[in-house]
Amino acid sequence: MIVRCRLRLLIGLCCLVPTLSGCSDRFLAGPMQYVENDALTKEVKGKNSLAGKPRLQDKVRNALAKLYGEKPDRMIVSEGMGVLLTGGGARLASYQKVGESKLRNLGPDRKPIAGGYGLYRRNCLHCHGVSGAGDGPTAAYLYPIPRDYRKGLFKFTSTPFGARPHRDDLKRTITNGLHGTSMPAFEALMSSDEIEQVIDYVIFLSVRGETELELIELGALSDETDMSALSMDDARQAAESVFNKWKTAQTAIINPPVPAPPSTPKSIHHGRDLFLGRTKEKLDCVGCHGALAQGDGPTFVSQDVFNKVVFGGNPSEKEERLKQFDEKTREVWTQKLDDWGNPVRPANLNRGVYKGGRRPIDLYWRISKGINGANMPPGPNDAAVIWDVVNFVLALPYQPELLTNAPAPPAAQAPAVANR
Amino acid sequence: MRYWSVLFALAAIFSVGAFLYAPFSPDWWLPNPASDYRHVVSTFGREIDSLYLIILIITGVVFIGTQVVLVWESFRFADQKDEAGKPVRPAQYFHGSQRLEVIWTIIPAAILVFIALYQMGTWASIKFRSSAPKVPPLAEITGRQFQWVMRYPGPDGKLNTQDDLFTVNDLHFVKNRTALIYLKSSDVIHSFFLPQMRIKQDAVPGLTIPVWFDADTAGKYDLACAELCGWGHYKMRANVTVHETDEEFRKWLNEKLAEQNQSQLTMATVSQER
Ligand code: HEC
Ligand code: HEC
Ligand SMILES: [Cu+2]
Repeated sequence: MIVRCRLRLLIGLCCLVPTLSGCSDRFLAGPMQYVENDALTKEVKGKNSLAGKPRLQDKVRNALAKLYGEKPDRMIVSEGMGVLLTGGGARLASYQKVGESKLRNLGPDRKPIAGGYGLYRRNCLHCHGVSGAGDGPTAAYLYPIPRDYRKGLFKFTSTPFGARPHRDDLKRTITNGLHGTSMPAFEALMSSDEIEQVIDYVIFLSVRGETELELIELGALSDETDMSALSMDDARQAAESVFNKWKTAQTAIINPPVPAPPSTPKSIHHGRDLFLGRTKEKLDCVGCHGALAQGDGPTFVSQDVFNKVVFGGNPSEKEERLKQFDEKTREVWTQKLDDWGNPVRPANLNRGVYKGGRRPIDLYWRISKGINGANMPPGPNDAAVIWDVVNFVLALPYQPELLTNAPAPPAAQAPAVANR
Repeated sequence: MRYWSVLFALAAIFSVGAFLYAPFSPDWWLPNPASDYRHVVSTFGREIDSLYLIILIITGVVFIGTQVVLVWESFRFADQKDEAGKPVRPAQYFHGSQRLEVIWTIIPAAILVFIALYQMGTWASIKFRSSAPKVPPLAEITGRQFQWVMRYPGPDGKLNTQDDLFTVNDLHFVKNRTALIYLKSSDVIHSFFLPQMRIKQDAVPGLTIPVWFDADTAGKYDLACAELCGWGHYKMRANVTVHETDEEFRKWLNEKLAEQNQSQLTMATVSQER
């Protein structure tokens, strides 16, 4: 009898203890800590690094801690950055410390807010990572992999090529997601007020990460023994220059000078000829996107090679899989990595799926000013020309014959591409 | 030993109590609009709820009956000992009663057959393709990891043409109009679940499945994925808006179309820049 009771107690406890302890995630999360940029401590191929300079490394760490806070849950917002964020950064977190007083941040409805950090942690961290390096736990299983914010580069922007994004660009990305990628649309999952909060945090991480990069660059030029190298003043200046890039971008939106013309056959056909590079503008879309716009242009490795390397097995063994190909393929491969060092593929324009949105204005931005960091260069300057290309791109998924039955090019190059 | 029966009784009373309490609490009762939590908004919802209630009543009566017998027996006949401390009536082994077995097989079987026949009409009107309403489709909805991509016919009224409207996680239709959608999946199996309309249909890769539903109350509802489709399954939530009138729906559609056709920033956006 007693044995049975004990047994039951044991079984009961076995069920109860894990259930109860499972209610807390304390032991799962551990202390939150920024992940350092690889270039801070390790040699990184093709980049400057502070490997072997421990004193400078510490200086970078200290500077970052002073400028942005030591840990993710203790942020510091310096004055220069405040203007980039709503409420001067007050919406980054649920609590705020001003001087000695601590206050709870409230939303428009007077209720406490989760704050950008809390929302990011819940919704974005598992992909974009603690420090916004695109290295969250789910990241390795995705293609394309989540954005590393730390370069300050964003793809789907309305600002000039290479510039920082406008706040609204980030808002569009978060609200609508990036179609055809695993970046989800958060419109139905967060209120627009919450989206603003999380944008603040994305900007915070991006600015912090870029400052870190700048400091590493700066340190790489200095001598480890130079006591005055990487002073706090240098760090402040570096941060300030990063803030300024963001600030200028907020007034640099490109607005097409003329609205899109109606999508007439004439406009579409002209767009097609532009796309095929048969006009005096000599656009080279085909080189990347392919003659049928299937994303298989000759300047990139073939789709087959791409699939084998990227999807051919364990995501961390891409390098090994690449080795089976000849030197020429490997060279093209390395040349065509994006600015983050990841494989990228020109879009298949027949699918009618556009990561950055399908509004004519979105495509105008993509084609006129290129896609930052993604190997897609800025296009022509003439708005009328761009609009014809946009009309063509939008029509192509519904009229594939535009390319499959494209009339032969002018006589000189005719034979090679004849259709029959 | 007889007090074990109290434990059994408590469990049974708690279960029955929960069912009796449920209709009086919006949180416990079936999903319905917040304004009137007992009002079922869709035609199919009403039919399905009546089926649900019939089954609940049948199982409820059986449950109460068996629990009463169980508790009573274990109370009444436990601990009956004579002066010598031996059970008054020792347990007996007997070889079964054919009559009893026939009875307890036939009664549940009859109930099951009744339920099976009784629900056929509802099933047919919700699932049979032949009962699909002869209306132009409202939209094509494609599940993908992890969102619902919706595509509404544009001004030409036809799907899969260049003027279609695209939205993500945003379903709109008009009150008292049967909405017909074509359901697809672009990767794995998802399940299109409208809790307030009691509609649930798997989206299967390679198939285009018509689904139809209606609502008699304008307002906001939910759409969720009801098939575990991957790590981001919980993110597949969408907003459902039921419009009061056709005009209101058209207005929404046209606004969205204008947005989708936007080719310049409005002056407001430009001057608003900081
Ligand atoms: C399932 C993983 C995932 C989650 C969760 C996720 N993202 Fe992303 N995100 C991505 C991927 C993948 C990309 C890059 C797509 C590409 O490069 O084509 C991306 C890109 C971005 C970009 C860059 C857009 C540009 O123009 O370059 C921003 C900003 C962004 N995400 C913000 C967020 C925010 C904020 C959240 C949380 C609210 C979030 N993401 C949640 C996967 C995710
Ligand atoms: C040097 C190569 C290259 C050239 C030249 C090029 N593209 Fe691209 N394009 C790309 C890559 C790579 C992507 C995919 C970027 C990504 O997915 O992040 C892309 C994407 C696109 C997209 C999809 C944008 C979206 O939102 O998903 C469109 C549209 C496009 N290109 C049109 C054009 C047109 C039109 C031209 C000619 C004027 C052109 N491209 C020239 C490489 C190129
Ligand atoms: Cu799903």
